Amino acid sequence: MSLRKVTAEAKLLLIGIPVLIWTMLPIYHLFLFAISPKEQAMGGLLWPDHPTLHNFEVVFKQQHHYLNFFWLQMWNSLLIAVATGLITLMVATGAAFAISRLKVRGGRLAMNLALLTYFIPAAFLAVPMYKTMGVYGILNNQWSLILAMVTIATPYSIWVLKQASDKLPFELDEAAKIDGASPLQLFRLVYLPLMTPSLVAVGTYALLLAWNEYLYAFLLLSSERDITLGVALGNFLAADDSPWELLMTTGLLYALPPAAIYYTFKRYMVGGLTAGAVKS
Amino acid sequence: MASVSFKNIEKSFGTTKVIHGIGFDIVDGEFVVLVGPSGCGKSTLLRMLAGLEEITGGTIAIDGRVVNDVESKDRDIAMVFQSYALYPHMTVADNMAFSLKLRKADAAMIAERVNRASKILNLDPYLKRFPRELSGGQRQRVAMGRAIVRDPKVFLFDEPLSNLDAKLRVAMRAEIKALHQRLKTTTVYVTHDQVEAMTMADRIVVMHDGRIEQIGTPLDLYDKPGNLFVAQFIGSPAMNVVNGTVRRATGRAHVEAAGAQWPLDGGPGADGQAVTYGIRPEHLTLAGSGGVPGEIIVVEPTGAETELLIKVGEEQVILRTHGRPHVNPDEKVHLTVDPANVHLFDRGTGARLTA
Repeated sequence: MSLRKVTAEAKLLLIGIPVLIWTMLPIYHLFLFAISPKEQAMGGLLWPDHPTLHNFEVVFKQQHHYLNFFWLQMWNSLLIAVATGLITLMVATGAAFAISRLKVRGGRLAMNLALLTYFIPAAFLAVPMYKTMGVYGILNNQWSLILAMVTIATPYSIWVLKQASDKLPFELDEAAKIDGASPLQLFRLVYLPLMTPSLVAVGTYALLLAWNEYLYAFLLLSSERDITLGVALGNFLAADDSPWELLMTTGLLYALPPAAIYYTFKRYMVGGLTAGAVKS
Repeated sequence: MASVSFKNIEKSFGTTKVIHGIGFDIVDGEFVVLVGPSGCGKSTLLRMLAGLEEITGGTIAIDGRVVNDVESKDRDIAMVFQSYALYPHMTVADNMAFSLKLRKADAAMIAERVNRASKILNLDPYLKRFPRELSGGQRQRVAMGRAIVRDPKVFLFDEPLSNLDAKLRVAMRAEIKALHQRLKTTTVYVTHDQVEAMTMADRIVVMHDGRIEQIGTPLDLYDKPGNLFVAQFIGSPAMNVVNGTVRRATGRAHVEAAGAQWPLDGGPGADGQAVTYGIRPEHLTLAGSGGVPGEIIVVEPTGAETELLIKVGEEQVILRTHGRPHVNPDEKVHLTVDPANVHLFDRGTGARLTA
């Protein structure tokens, strides 16, 4: 290996190792708490003397008053995240197809309005959103959170999907049109299959956005049976003597589904499906 | 199979008019090539026939039925695109079957049609492959296969060979022509390549700036170009042209141009008329003396033929000969012209002068 290569690699490692430590440290901390007995959790050890899975047992069996609805709240999180992902996909795909492929009138305006929504921070809209949901009469109903999250996720999703669908060669639409496809058939048989990587990416984005949401979930839902696991985790801190080891265990469990989703859909995030459609 | 008729076709994009009243008829089974430089409106005309572009004015009829307001899919046409436009997520077989499936044709019929098309185009070994696994020429054949299975009234080709390399282009040219001779389907083919037009067409429509310059068989256009544009567009290398004045009053008739006397016969051109004198490179010959004096600039041997770039006065002309003349750059030569091969054009309008 030449000296140049060695120094290049050394530089990469010099940056990479601190970044890795920086990223992994909180996760390790989380993990350490989860496998520590209550009395050792705050001990500041690098590895507990008696690692245990007891905390997981407590969480799974809902044996603490903060955890009475653990499974239900996990389900709530999942339901809200999946619903947000699906509805966002439906809305954004339809919009992107209409604007990018069917070239509907006012498409540009719609795109610009979508962009405009990002000038206002989501936190700023929390109270108006709360009022709006009150007007609709769906406060404390999970639909309020789903709709709020769809509202927040959709503009960005439309942009991503529109950019992606602009890259599909227009001749494909024309070929399909001459082959006899109606706009709906074009959408279903040509557009959707070719957009799959982008759709998965956008769906995952919306799903994780909803999964990780705290502020809106905290505002719009209040019953312990309705709230998401994220909000339930926040409630741990309501008392002075928070059970940190249980908080961290629950947190670790809460972080697993997103990790699994990332891992599963990793390969879709990379495009390449359109290779061979046209000479580029 | 069908006839196609364009009547007074106009097309505007916004306020820009790109096609100015075009009309011509294509008879059943004919192979017509629309040719012209970029932006001449040939593709737009084809796309209007395909139903991909609105028709601003005039009518297009297929088999006597006006199709202005008929959707693409109901016009019974098939189109081959420059970029192939194959569906990337479908196999070759599915690509070809797509239109029939949309029409809810029965499976046996689809299989039979796809089979026949793949036999004609030698695509049998590739039916299960995806477009990305094929070479450019194979993709182009799949695009043609997709058109064939439809058994349409009219085939439309939009610069189908532009994306292929030179060698493959020549091979595919012959393949498309053979395909037409076999299927005898009315075909409209757009290209900017006059060689493609010459070699493939039954009739060529030369377009320029949204107007038709001339319609005719390839050799008609070559031998009797109707105007200066067609004269210079058809043929490679292009026809030599020099601007001059007709002299018939004294001695032998000639055109005085580029400081030389270019021979004329008793044909068109009145004494004193300002003309453009045209002569194709293969109609110039080298001579020992007499004729038009010139000086060799470049000698380009291509094996079978030799092209000479020759300076005559301030003008340059190209001479093409089958032999291998022993001449060198800077050498003084003399050119002879058979007046029968001369084309005269009006200097003002560019129109061909006829007796």
